[in-house]
Amino acid sequence: MSIKILSVDDSKTIRMIVKRTFAPFDATVLEACNGEEGLATAAAEKPDLIVLDITMPVMDGVTMLTKLKEDAALKGIPVIMLTAESGRENVAFIAKLGVRDYLVKPFKDEQLIEKVIRVIPLQKKAA
Amino acid sequence: MNTSTLNFPTGEHIMFIVPNVFETMLMLPVTSVDPSRLPDERVSGSLGMVGEHVDGTVYLHVPEALARAIVGVLQQSGSVQNVSDRDVHDVVGELTNMIGGSLKSLLNDADITCGISTPSVIRGAFTVKPPPGVRADKFYFECLGHRFAVEVHLQFN
Repeated sequence: MSIKILSVDDSKTIRMIVKRTFAPFDATVLEACNGEEGLATAAAEKPDLIVLDITMPVMDGVTMLTKLKEDAALKGIPVIMLTAESGRENVAFIAKLGVRDYLVKPFKDEQLIEKVIRVIPLQKKAA
Repeated sequence: MNTSTLNFPTGEHIMFIVPNVFETMLMLPVTSVDPSRLPDERVSGSLGMVGEHVDGTVYLHVPEALARAIVGVLQQSGSVQNVSDRDVHDVVGELTNMIGGSLKSLLNDADITCGISTPSVIRGAFTVKPPPGVRADKFYFECLGHRFAVEVHLQFN
């Protein structure tokens, strides 16, 4: 069965990159452009994993993550956070949020795949 | 002004950051080139930095044709036919964000703490005149046969 990955990012560029990254795999990439849409999509689609940006309009990634963890039906969905800042303070802050992992932009496709494979079983598409 | 601010090698960092952003996220090679005039039809992203010991702005000036070509590559179509103005705006904003975010991280690692704004994007042949006392550096690169520039204005306090 195809894995569902939800990409929540206000940047279409990043969502396209996430989509490109998982194109060779048996995975469906769902998209949301802010935390509010992300929560609604997560509730409707029950994705296997969420790739979540931090800074977004309407509802940021930290607020979405907090709400996700408060929802009994959604709190078990693993989250990998994306951040543009690798500074020590920022990394320490992300670590406290209860995410499964994080990735600093810019990142290579392989780095994202490696982190996702640690959390969910990704399979290559059949040739 | 502390030793970190005096010695912060902005140029060295930008020469690493820009190819790194393009090559990792876009899978597009970038080379450093000599200064030259950019086309008038261009899109510029800017991102502000504010901190106790540093204030500044990072600018990314990209010819519109390059921005459209990058989106075409990301859409895996290779074509610029289906690239909207909004897509162009988004890609320039996100690239500016990653370049500025990387520079901010290196400033912070050098104990020059600062915050960054969200990027703004404008279209047109604008040039930016740095205020007096601001260290201004401009670096030129080439990608997909188009030249683009990154400009950094920093004032260390």
